[in-house]
Amino acid sequence: MSELEQLNWKISAKAGEGVMSSAKLFAKACKRQGLAVFNYYEYPSLIKGGLQSGQVYTALRGATCQQRKLDLLIVFHEKFINEHLAELDEQSLVIVNANNFDSSKYPDLKSQVLAINLTKIARDQGANPLAANIAALGLSARIFAMDLQVMGRVVVEEFAKNKEAASKNLLVLKAAFEFTDDLIKQGKLVDRGNLVNTGVDEQLLVTGSEAIGLGVLAAGLQFYSAYPMTPATGLLHFLAAEQDNYPIVVKHAEDEIAAINHALGASFAGVRAMTGSSGGGFALMVESLSFAGVAEIPLVVLEAVRQGPATGLPTWTSQGDLNFVLGAGHGDFLRVILTPGSVEEHFVLAKLAVELAEKYQLPVLIMSDKYILESHQTMPKMILSQQNQRFAMLNDGRLGESGLGEGEFLRYKLSADGVSPRSIPGQGNALQLTNSYEHDQYGFATEDAVETKQAVDKRAAKLSALQQELPKPLYLGSKNPKQIFISFGSTINVLQEVLLDPLASQIALIHLPCVYPFPTQEFEVLLAGKNAELFVVEGDATGQLAGLIKRETKLRDLRMILRYDGRPFYSEDLLEFLQNGQLNKQYTLL
Amino acid sequence: MNDITLANLLSPVQPTWCPGCGNFSILTALKQALVELNLKMDEVVIVFGIGCSGNTADFIKCYGFHALHGRGLANAVGIKLANHRQKVIMIGGDGDLYGEGLNHLVAACRGNHDITTLVFNNHRYSLTTGQTSPTSAKGTVAKSTPQGLIEDPIGALSIAISNGAGFVARAYAGKLKQMVELIKAGIQYDGFSLIDVQQPCPTFNKEQDYAWYQQNVFDLPAEYDPSNQGQALVELLDKNKLSLGVLYRNDQRLAYHQEVATLREKTLIEQFPQTVDLNKAIKEFV
Repeated sequence: MSELEQLNWKISAKAGEGVMSSAKLFAKACKRQGLAVFNYYEYPSLIKGGLQSGQVYTALRGATCQQRKLDLLIVFHEKFINEHLAELDEQSLVIVNANNFDSSKYPDLKSQVLAINLTKIARDQGANPLAANIAALGLSARIFAMDLQVMGRVVVEEFAKNKEAASKNLLVLKAAFEFTDDLIKQGKLVDRGNLVNTGVDEQLLVTGSEAIGLGVLAAGLQFYSAYPMTPATGLLHFLAAEQDNYPIVVKHAEDEIAAINHALGASFAGVRAMTGSSGGGFALMVESLSFAGVAEIPLVVLEAVRQGPATGLPTWTSQGDLNFVLGAGHGDFLRVILTPGSVEEHFVLAKLAVELAEKYQLPVLIMSDKYILESHQTMPKMILSQQNQRFAMLNDGRLGESGLGEGEFLRYKLSADGVSPRSIPGQGNALQLTNSYEHDQYGFATEDAVETKQAVDKRAAKLSALQQELPKPLYLGSKNPKQIFISFGSTINVLQEVLLDPLASQIALIHLPCVYPFPTQEFEVLLAGKNAELFVVEGDATGQLAGLIKRETKLRDLRMILRYDGRPFYSEDLLEFLQNGQLNKQYTLL
Repeated sequence: MNDITLANLLSPVQPTWCPGCGNFSILTALKQALVELNLKMDEVVIVFGIGCSGNTADFIKCYGFHALHGRGLANAVGIKLANHRQKVIMIGGDGDLYGEGLNHLVAACRGNHDITTLVFNNHRYSLTTGQTSPTSAKGTVAKSTPQGLIEDPIGALSIAISNGAGFVARAYAGKLKQMVELIKAGIQYDGFSLIDVQQPCPTFNKEQDYAWYQQNVFDLPAEYDPSNQGQALVELLDKNKLSLGVLYRNDQRLAYHQEVATLREKTLIEQFPQTVDLNKAIKEFV
């Protein structure tokens, strides 16, 4: 059998039928075979019914995003085939969870379709009929000649808390594998090749949310408060579950305003603190963000963007909150906005966010989106023993005597670099007033013109040192490109896939992992001497990143490739654009 | 560590309250209570709301947190969870705590967070020049309600008692000694304590002056049993009846932080992880 170096797999069913876990387990089995994996989910904002799908793209050469053309589609309900016609061609195989299939009802379908009753396979093993989602894995393992042992371990681990379910599911997995083996022997299924097993399994398979969670835990985050809102909820769930393992308190607050204010209180009292929400919830937090700015309270905020405005499309992706995040909060104050791309970068920048917030005593926002926060992607295993130190704190934040004399401590002492060490409650002789009013060096409220200007200038002075520590723009691809695609956040995952294609040999990419403070100098250096057409690729309707670039750089000649229908970019669409200059009608080219 | 003394609590900033304002005596009572509790200067955190009462932030030396309007209690919850050895006190007005921040008040009661909340209740928004507040009487004529207030006053103490607050009391700015005792009891109570302090605003509330209060406040009778929740709620049904003292006290309920597993042995701040081992956290991702 031929070696299969990449494969695109999808399962589609109603909400509640186990699509998410089936796709996650398939993705994990591919990762265990040593392959790169990207696992993208689509689901409606409801609990039962509606179409859900999980799709796993796995490849030896790297898999940074989802792919459209499917090798295998498993549908639990025949009618769902219609939803996936654009993803199927002659090479695709479709499995319908049914006893039979009438192809005459689908004249546009060119793929081979086979009806296999996965539910019956599950039931015959005495398992819950919902274990059809596990039967789908056994079937897939056989079709792509995957290691059944590996798949079996993945399934057993998933049900570690319920031994009976684990053993039943294992039976279902094997039964489906054997059932499919028979079909192949009978010639009803064609050989699809052997999915490569490198034998080197050193990667982690995590979502963007989980990667942020790992990053902030690594950074010694000790307090997270939030109100549930898709797609920020994943981080809340992850950190809440880790309360058993790490010295962190997670508080589900009564509303988003409470969530951010809990975090501000905890941070003032000396622990590293964070909150998170999506655009609507973050909108409620904005007054308090401004408080963090004026009072110089370290704070990390996740803004998990979904398609808006208002309630919008709760479970679909967008980057349309960029201008909002840039401008959130009344009055002038310094902030950092990190926009990680890959899951690995989510880990790295989450740790950095916690450190920068403390070091510079300001709000650091991590802006990400549903697409990458809820997708699984492989990343290298990080250093597992993470070290932390305190920054800009009186006595390194240790409680007890400050060593100062009475009245010597000034919380907001004027300094050239704008950072003044902060005391925390419990330190002797270091009383201070953290104040939402403009304040003097002790913290008492002031309306004095001179003191006001000094205080504003002091906070702004942090910029120059801060800028040295921010992640720099990333340049990939041709050194002498005809076209440069500029993006921020998750879009780089798709553009990297584009870059792997021979059609992309004359393009380059610039990814911005930090959009504010904008890296003007580094960005202009990357573009210096390049005679290329510039395309800003972003997930919004108005070209918000392009607008920011025009505001912060000398660049004026920018074109825009925009998508704002809740769906992620597809590398296939952008490659088609490279080939013939055409974008499909779900995109806007300006 | 310095003891709390009146001298140590003295701020260099002079109060900016109007002559005759009830805030003076409430601040005096608070300072006296802190002194009598024999606490250290660094053991107390006071969170301040926005309003005339919140301006106390400048008039007392302490670890202070001058919050946004309405949000102070949410900050206080975070402070207490980060370092539960601190005595956390919230000072705000009736507009701040019963209006803008009511959701946080209810949540703090439900959680029984160990915070002592003093509501400087003058029945007006005085810092914004005297509009009606959630505790103003129906019919009150003020700048924002020139035709008379249509709403009923809020039953804030009933809300607190019926939502889990462990200690609910009412004081009056004209009765200093009782105020001191109630504040001390509130700070010593392990759980959420709400002390509603009735106070005149001589500038913007001409109806409820000292003479009016002398006629309308009275102490709870000696036989009143504050452990009886139903009786407390009945006592509060008549919103015109300003009974003073501990209206309700529940000594059975644990404070929020006492139920958080992470905080069982040490405060959160004492557990800062200089080294983090990620092995457990990545278990499900390998």
